[in-house]
Amino acid sequence: MTATTNTHSVRCQGRTITRPEVEDFLYSEADILDHWDYDGWLALFEPGARYEIPTTDYRPGWSPHETGSFVDDDWDLLRARIKRLKSRKAHAENPHSRTHRLVSNVRLSEHTEDSFRVAASFVVHRARDGHFDAYVGWYEHVLVPTEDGLRFRLRRSVLGHESLAAGARLSFIL
Amino acid sequence: MIVENWDQLTFRVNREAYRSAEIFTRERGWVWTHTWLYLGHETEIPNPNDFKVRTLGGRPLIFCRDTAGEVHAFLNSCPHRGTVLCRESEGSTRLFQCFYHAWTFRNNGDLAAIPDADAYESSDAFKASMGLRGVPRLEIHEGYVFVAFDPDVPPLLEHLGDAADYMTMIEQQHVGGMTTLPGTQQYSVRGNWKLAVENAMDGYHFAPTHNTFVGYLRESGFAVTDDNQYAYNLGNGHGLLVLTGHGGRISMLWEPRFGEDERVRTEQHRAEMAQRLGEERAHYVADESHILFVFPNLLLFDIEGLSIRQLEPVAPDQTDVRAWQLVPRDEDSAARALRMKTVVSFVGPGGLATPDDIEAYEAVQRGIQATAGTAVPELDYSDMSRGMADEVKGVQGRSTDEGAMRGFWRHWIDAVGLEDGLQVHGERPASFLEGRDVR
Ligand code: FES
Ligand SMILES: [Fe+2]
Repeated sequence: MTATTNTHSVRCQGRTITRPEVEDFLYSEADILDHWDYDGWLALFEPGARYEIPTTDYRPGWSPHETGSFVDDDWDLLRARIKRLKSRKAHAENPHSRTHRLVSNVRLSEHTEDSFRVAASFVVHRARDGHFDAYVGWYEHVLVPTEDGLRFRLRRSVLGHESLAAGARLSFIL
Repeated sequence: MIVENWDQLTFRVNREAYRSAEIFTRERGWVWTHTWLYLGHETEIPNPNDFKVRTLGGRPLIFCRDTAGEVHAFLNSCPHRGTVLCRESEGSTRLFQCFYHAWTFRNNGDLAAIPDADAYESSDAFKASMGLRGVPRLEIHEGYVFVAFDPDVPPLLEHLGDAADYMTMIEQQHVGGMTTLPGTQQYSVRGNWKLAVENAMDGYHFAPTHNTFVGYLRESGFAVTDDNQYAYNLGNGHGLLVLTGHGGRISMLWEPRFGEDERVRTEQHRAEMAQRLGEERAHYVADESHILFVFPNLLLFDIEGLSIRQLEPVAPDQTDVRAWQLVPRDEDSAARALRMKTVVSFVGPGGLATPDDIEAYEAVQRGIQATAGTAVPELDYSDMSRGMADEVKGVQGRSTDEGAMRGFWRHWIDAVGLEDGLQVHGERPASFLEGRDVR
C-alpha cells in the first residue's frame, strides 16, 4: 500500500468526483438497507450490475467465475434476490433482521473512462432470533457517475472473517 | 429413543437425540471414533507438499500430500507434548516444525530433527516412535478421501455399499473427471448435525420452505413438480433422493434459465456420455438429480451443479459446515462461469434457498425445547412416519416421504450403541424396501 496516493478525488467521464460525494452515496445506501427499502436499494444499481460476496478464504486475484463464493449475482439473480427478500416467504428473513451499518476508510481510485473504484470498510451489526452478530470487512465497488447520481456497476463485500460464525448466514444484504 | 411401530405405521424419534450433551458425547465416542469419516477430496491437495488443516469429530488433522505424492492424514498434534503442529489453514511445505521446542517432521510423518537430541535415548526405535501419528485407516474412493480412527473398521467399499456407485457416477459425468475448486463455503449453524442430514433427505419441505426459489424457477420457465421423485435407504445409514422435477444441473439437465448456449452444450455432452457410458448408464448419470448422504458426515448435492458438503458437529446445538464445488476438470470458461453462478444461487448461506433450510432446522432446534422434560413424555418425540403406509404395500417411497430418514436413524441407533434404543412394535413387513436396483 502506498501511503501517498490521492484518494480524495478521482477523474471520471470528464468530471471530478470527490470523496464526500462518494461517502454520501455509501451512507445513504447504508440507510436504505437498514430501513429494508429494497426497491430503493435496487435503484442504486445500473442495469446489468453485479453483487458479489467471495468466501472467507478468498485471496485477491480470485475470479468469482472460477471459484466458489457466497454470492455471485448477475443482474437477473440480483433482481430475483430482491423479489425474494420482499416476499413474506423468504423464511430466513421473516421476521427481518435488524441491521446497523458503519462505513468508513473510504478511498477512491481510477478504473476506466466511465467508472471508478471505491474501497471502504464496513461493520454491519445484525440482530435476529435473540442473537447479535457483527460482520466486518471491506467493499471493493465499481461505481459509475450518471445524470441521476452515482450508481453501482459492481457491489462487492469481502468478509474479514475466517468463517461465518454460527447463525451468521448471509440471508440479508451485506 | 426411537419407536418404530408397524401396527400403527409410526416412526418416532425422541428429541433428546438433538439436545442431549450425553448423546453428543456418545456420538463423539462411538460414531466419530469408530466409523469411516469423509476427510476431503484428493484434488484439494493436488501437488506434492500441499496441505490443508481440518477438524474431524473435534480432532485437529493435517490432510497432506507428501513429497513423493502420497496422501496422508496426521493428527495435528506434536508427539512431544501435544501442541498443535501446523497453525496455518493451508499451504505447501516439506517439513512441519513445532514452534514450542522445535521438533521437526517430514510431510510423510517421519521425525526429521530434535534439537539437542543427545539428551534422548539414541535408538532408531525411539526416533521411529516419535514420528507424526497418522490416522489408523485412510482409503480413497473416486478421489473422496475417508479416514477412520479405529483400525478395525471394515474396508471402505464395504462401508459405502450402494453409495459407492453414486460417487462413481459423479466421476463419470465428464470424460476428464472432476476436481474441487478454491473458494470454500465455511459456515456454522445453530442446529444439531442430524437436523442437517434430515433436511437434505427431506423432499417434503421443498415446496413450502423454498417457495421463493420455486417462484424464481417458475418465472424462468421451468415447471416444478414432485412427480417421479424417490427416496432410497441405501443401508449403513446412507440415503439417496432421486429428483427430476426441480433438477436443473449445468451441463447435465438443461433449464430455460441456463440459456441457449448451455442448451447446445448440454445436448452435445449428453450424446458424448451415451457413447462413452452406454445409453442406460448415461441415463442414470445424466437425467436425474441426486442428493446422496454418506453416513455420517458427507452430503453430495448433484443439483444445480455439484456441491460436496461436510458436517462437523461442534456441540449438540451447533454444527460447522464446509462446502466445496466439484467441477469438470476440462470445462470451457463460459460453462464454468454459469455453473458457479447457478450453484451459488441455490446452495450455501448466501444463496436463495439454503438460508431457508438453515432457518428451518435452527427453528427446530429452538422449538424442541418446548417438550423437553415434559410431564407427558410421549410429547417429546418428532414424527417421521411419512410413507410407511406405502412401505407396507411395497410401493417405493417418494422423495416427499421420510423413508431415507428412517434408514439413517435405524443405523444411527446401532452406531451410538444405545441399548434398547430402538423399539420395534409389530412386524416389519416382508415388502420393506431398502436400496435401489438400477443396474
Ligand atoms: S510440544 Fe512440540 S516440540 Fe515440544
Ligand atoms: Fe431445502
